[in-house]
Amino acid sequence: MQDFLELAVGAAASGCIYGLLALAYLVMIRPTGIINFAVGEWAMVGAFGGFLVLTQWHWPYGLGMAAIIAFMLLVGWLTERITVRPLLERGAPVLAPILALLGILVVFRESISLIFGPDPHQVPYPFGFGRLEIGPLAGSYQSFFMIGTSLAVFAAAWYFFERTVAGKCFEAVALNRRAAALMGINLARVTALSFAAGGAIAGLAGILIGPNISAHYLMGVPLAIQGFTALVIGGVGRVAGALLGGLLLAFAEQLTVRYAPVPPGYAQGVPLVLLMIFLIVRPTGLLKARA
Amino acid sequence: MKSAALWLAAAVLLSAAAFVLGEYHNDVYRKLLLWIALALSYNFIFGIAGQVTFSHFAFYGIGAYGIVILLFYAALPWPLAILGAIALCVVLALAVAIPATRLEGFYLALATMAFAQLFIVVLNEGGSVTGGTGGLASYRLPRIAGLDLTGRTYTVVIVLLVLATAAVLRRIDNSWFGRACRAVRDNAEAAAAMGIDVARTKVIAFTVASVLAGIAGMAYAFVDNTVNPPIFGLENAFLLLFMVIVGGSGRHAGAVVGTVLLYLLPFVLSPLIGQHHALVFGVLMVAAILLQPRGLIALYDRFARR
Repeated sequence: MQDFLELAVGAAASGCIYGLLALAYLVMIRPTGIINFAVGEWAMVGAFGGFLVLTQWHWPYGLGMAAIIAFMLLVGWLTERITVRPLLERGAPVLAPILALLGILVVFRESISLIFGPDPHQVPYPFGFGRLEIGPLAGSYQSFFMIGTSLAVFAAAWYFFERTVAGKCFEAVALNRRAAALMGINLARVTALSFAAGGAIAGLAGILIGPNISAHYLMGVPLAIQGFTALVIGGVGRVAGALLGGLLLAFAEQLTVRYAPVPPGYAQGVPLVLLMIFLIVRPTGLLKARA
Repeated sequence: MKSAALWLAAAVLLSAAAFVLGEYHNDVYRKLLLWIALALSYNFIFGIAGQVTFSHFAFYGIGAYGIVILLFYAALPWPLAILGAIALCVVLALAVAIPATRLEGFYLALATMAFAQLFIVVLNEGGSVTGGTGGLASYRLPRIAGLDLTGRTYTVVIVLLVLATAAVLRRIDNSWFGRACRAVRDNAEAAAAMGIDVARTKVIAFTVASVLAGIAGMAYAFVDNTVNPPIFGLENAFLLLFMVIVGGSGRHAGAVVGTVLLYLLPFVLSPLIGQHHALVFGVLMVAAILLQPRGLIALYDRFARR
């Protein structure tokens, strides 16, 4: 039991990261229908931002994090401006921006490897290496920091989509682009904002996971797959689904590594198998979209 | 009659190149030819049937590992090993296609990506059967029907393979099935209304393209006389997609142009930017979609029409 609770805190922390990545997909898919597979690369850019600003320039953690998130807003917005908007304005098929974003994914990855080289880089822990015990739950400071920050982001996202007029605009665009445009919603602005928000959320996930796995130029695609798996498990309909999917995926992974009688290498297969099963058996995810 | 002469001329010319080129350039040439074979079959599933998949290199790998394992681990005679490897590709392609082709658009791409990544996990964990992360090596092509097919002769074998792939795909493309594939790509509902079985069309297109990739993989296994997991991973699957899009998806000539360009580009670029030619591929890919969505081959069309 002690063993399981220890594992649970770590799994919840990874699950929150997967959830954040799923949320980044979700804020872009809802209004535009575009699956932006470059979110993993954005997380990588966030992690390298953490290395540059926090490790090399020694900025205070809060300031550095704010600077990276601001930078990631810009990255997301620029990505939309350069690759997505010209295609949407031309009325290209929905697959065109998705494929263009795959090209952008490679551009991000190779640029980072060109600038920082192929070696992993250390991203600092905000509170050091300590260990925290809350009742029966115990884990590293970083695990609790990851969980806390992610929950705050999810609460903010929930509030935005459910309680604000701007969030309702996003929902309206998600339900019917044409009708939303006729109601006076600026589609171009919603799309740009969704990409900026996606960039910031993915970048934050990168800063949070950075200390645990180090910033490396190949870290993006595995994160993109895990985030997308979390999204598919939870369903693209609701914000809570992204978090639920992330947590379920992380627990499935960690429990397989710890208890299942298979070689540890096969644990990498867990998100892949779950992704295939959910896509084929239950493509709407566990949580239904609200009507 | 005329087209048979053209195919024969192509076979002679492409084979003659093998005897002009040196040892090293033969190796480059063989790999280029295999990329062309892959691009042609990928163009069929992506460009003509309109299904985005990332499993093409996995099937290339299934063919390559399949033939090596059947020949040297299971010690089957070569005709049985070839048939066995093809059968393996057919069975796995159907197993992926029947459930997965129900998925729309990029969801199919991600399901096939999961399959391709899972294939790599299995290769890495396969123990002595797949050789783990180091792959399989130190085997040699046996004499087939008493012939020694190594060196330049093997280049000729690959030339014939590429031409056979092109001929099969052209034949299918020009048949009712090719038109059915294009109809499904352009508008699945309209295709269904015209009496086309959409699901079956997608499954057959995926299986044909994947099996052709597997056959190319069987030829690849004896190019370097080694197979290892990274060759069959996502990197190359992305590159194949870029090649077809840059060249012009849906056109056989486009797939060939894109492949030749992107395959030879690193040789030109590496003195300038070292190992970072993928950066240029990414930029070319984005530029192609933004500026020239029908690919380089459409530029040629415009030029030729004048």
